[in-house]
Amino acid sequence: MKKLYNIKSFSTLLFLIIVVLPVFCGLVYATLYSFEIVGIINSGFTTKHWEDIIQGSAFWSSIGFSFYVAICSVVISLIFALAMALSWKKNLQKGALSTAIYLPLCFPGTVMAFFMFQFLSKSGFLSRLGFASGVLEDINSFPALINDAYGIGIIITSVVLITPFFVILFSNIYHTENIEAYKELATTFGASKRQLLQKVTLPILLKKSSVTIYLFIIFVMGSYEIPLLLGRQSPQMISVATVQKIQRFNLYDIPKGFAMSILYVLIIMSVLLFLYFRNRDYFKSETTK
Amino acid sequence: MIKRTLQYGFIISIGFPVVFLLVLSLGRRWAYPNILPEQISFANWEFLQQSDSKLFQAFFVSLGISLCVAVFVTALGFVISKFIAYSQRRNTFLVLAYIPYLLSPVIMAIIFQYYFIITGLTGTFLGVIIAQFLVAFPFGIIIYLNFWNAQLKSMEELSYTLGGSRWQTYKKVLLPLSKNALMLCFFQVFLISWFEYGLTNLIGSGKIRTLTVSVFNFVTEANIFYAALACFLLILPPMLLLYINKRFILFVEKTEL
Amino acid sequence: MSQFLTIQHLYKTFGKETVLQDINLTLDKNTVLSLLGSSGSGKTTLLKIIAGIETADKGNIFLEGNNISDQKPQERHIVYLYQEALLFPHLNAFENIAFGLRLQKMNESLITEKVHLMLKNIEMTKHAKKMPPQLSGGQKQRISFGRAMIIEPKLLLLDEPFGALDASTRSKMQELFKTLAHNMNLSALFVTHDLKEAIVMGDQIGKIQKGQLVQYETKNEFFNDAFSGVQKEIDFWKSIGQNT
Repeated sequence: MKKLYNIKSFSTLLFLIIVVLPVFCGLVYATLYSFEIVGIINSGFTTKHWEDIIQGSAFWSSIGFSFYVAICSVVISLIFALAMALSWKKNLQKGALSTAIYLPLCFPGTVMAFFMFQFLSKSGFLSRLGFASGVLEDINSFPALINDAYGIGIIITSVVLITPFFVILFSNIYHTENIEAYKELATTFGASKRQLLQKVTLPILLKKSSVTIYLFIIFVMGSYEIPLLLGRQSPQMISVATVQKIQRFNLYDIPKGFAMSILYVLIIMSVLLFLYFRNRDYFKSETTK
Repeated sequence: MIKRTLQYGFIISIGFPVVFLLVLSLGRRWAYPNILPEQISFANWEFLQQSDSKLFQAFFVSLGISLCVAVFVTALGFVISKFIAYSQRRNTFLVLAYIPYLLSPVIMAIIFQYYFIITGLTGTFLGVIIAQFLVAFPFGIIIYLNFWNAQLKSMEELSYTLGGSRWQTYKKVLLPLSKNALMLCFFQVFLISWFEYGLTNLIGSGKIRTLTVSVFNFVTEANIFYAALACFLLILPPMLLLYINKRFILFVEKTEL
Repeated sequence: MSQFLTIQHLYKTFGKETVLQDINLTLDKNTVLSLLGSSGSGKTTLLKIIAGIETADKGNIFLEGNNISDQKPQERHIVYLYQEALLFPHLNAFENIAFGLRLQKMNESLITEKVHLMLKNIEMTKHAKKMPPQLSGGQKQRISFGRAMIIEPKLLLLDEPFGALDASTRSKMQELFKTLAHNMNLSALFVTHDLKEAIVMGDQIGKIQKGQLVQYETKNEFFNDAFSGVQKEIDFWKSIGQNT
């Protein structure tokens, strides 16, 4: 069985090289750069970029704005998805709806963002419809939904992209967890319709999908293409803000960009660890006892 | 009745963006407040006959990159994930795989871009493939880790005790049983790569023009009709996949497909 | 080394937990040794080590006088059967049985002939074309036996093979297995947690508990040993008899 051990350690090594090494090496370089130990402008060790980032408001407002967009998008999606998955549960299993619900998953963020821009901007399709029907008097009376201060365009686009996913997820859980049977059981205990929803259906669905929901918050927080097209200069979501710092012509912004990336990576890692220790079962599988 | 109407309304609103993009891709001049473009013609679509057109090339650059990334991740991930799944430190590996999976790809690109620059990989086809591979591989591992289980391991062992060699066991037991997992991984990774913009643009430094990069280029050039056309081309392969088998469009962790 | 199977001083630990401790065991040719053990006793690990799927930390295994401790599972000619039938879901009943023969690249007509004979022996001829989900628990287990026995392994290891079956199917399968074992001159280790089944199935009996194994020379010795629990069982049934 010697040979098997070799394949095993080789596989492990390859995994570490592909998965861990790039992130690790990247972080090392980013750290050195952010302290100006390496890089075009390196003038010797300095902590000034870190001080700027941590004490300044730009980074934290980006993180805060990203978090706000993510929470709004996910919560709104959840409400829509739960309503659809529960009230249309039969049609979601077969028929036109069961296929149609997959269609939005064919849209990458880029395309959906482009569509929303053409649809919701001041000169977009909706505004033209409003004008043609006489609801709008001129282009400026159409509300700012794109490149707006509250990230409305970003949130709408994210909601449209995520909701179908949650609908499918809930619809699947409803069947695999055999919620119907639990509901029947609860009915024999005398539960009302409202109680069935509050005490049986929703808790099971949300508990089973909790980690996925958290992961989606993280995904939306890190999204790039959608805010790049639909966001504005300030407030900016974290990915857009970081890339902009790195690509600026002002060389003194680059170390700040790296410091922001490191902080972002650290935040994601700590959230992941927190999720891992809170939800061991989710990460466990049948392969380990 | 209300339920029916709502459902039909929903289905129509789902289909609307597809039709909208198609109409826009046929358009020329769309001044406010016209509802539809003033001219509708196939002029924009003539790129199909010109193999030197930017869009034509972008389509095949995208296709080439996505196919390569999907093949590599599917094949390598299959073998590696198996050892990880049965390892005692499986959970540690899983958490490690989640780190790059959860990070925004464009942030990943920022932190490892330097190494692509010093190896001369930025702005090359190979560089973009490697960068996308690094981002997609952990996802492949996560898909497969949901798939390997005790039952499958027992079947593999059974095949050994019945006299099957390692190769025979792969060919006659593991691969046939893994067909769905392999397809799922292939299509999922293909889509990730097909949809990717931020990392591709950064590592490709604008020289590798995939379809997503084209969309953004057309948008900055204010050429919305070509952008719409590129968008339409972007959603074609996934829609084709949806038509073939909708199960491969999405990966839902921990729930049966 | 006149014994067919001999195990000497076998040890196995998982981390800090000692699973098998100084296991010694002998088995004659054409006999069935029942091993009585509850879950967590280490019985599954022992069988897996014999089959070559797990490795022992220490100790030796001899089959027909040859030390097989370092051999690959493929070379040992020992088949390990799980509690689940584990039929390959992509193959029908016939192909499941033929699996081992196909690995040997045996010619087609011989495979057909052998499989049909086996199907007859296990009374499954009617179900040859069925896919695993169409078979009942007992039928699956029959196919699983057929699949193992058709390659004529030197030794068969059975890990609670009837554990998941209902009582009547279970006794039918015990019957079938005994007949087959006799007709095909099988040597087998039969692990069960059921006292009665251990007595019915085994020519010899052993008991494994907390990683330690006691092998009894004769069934009588087993019946008389307080550790075996047989006497307790007899007393229980007697007490019921007296009370009614």
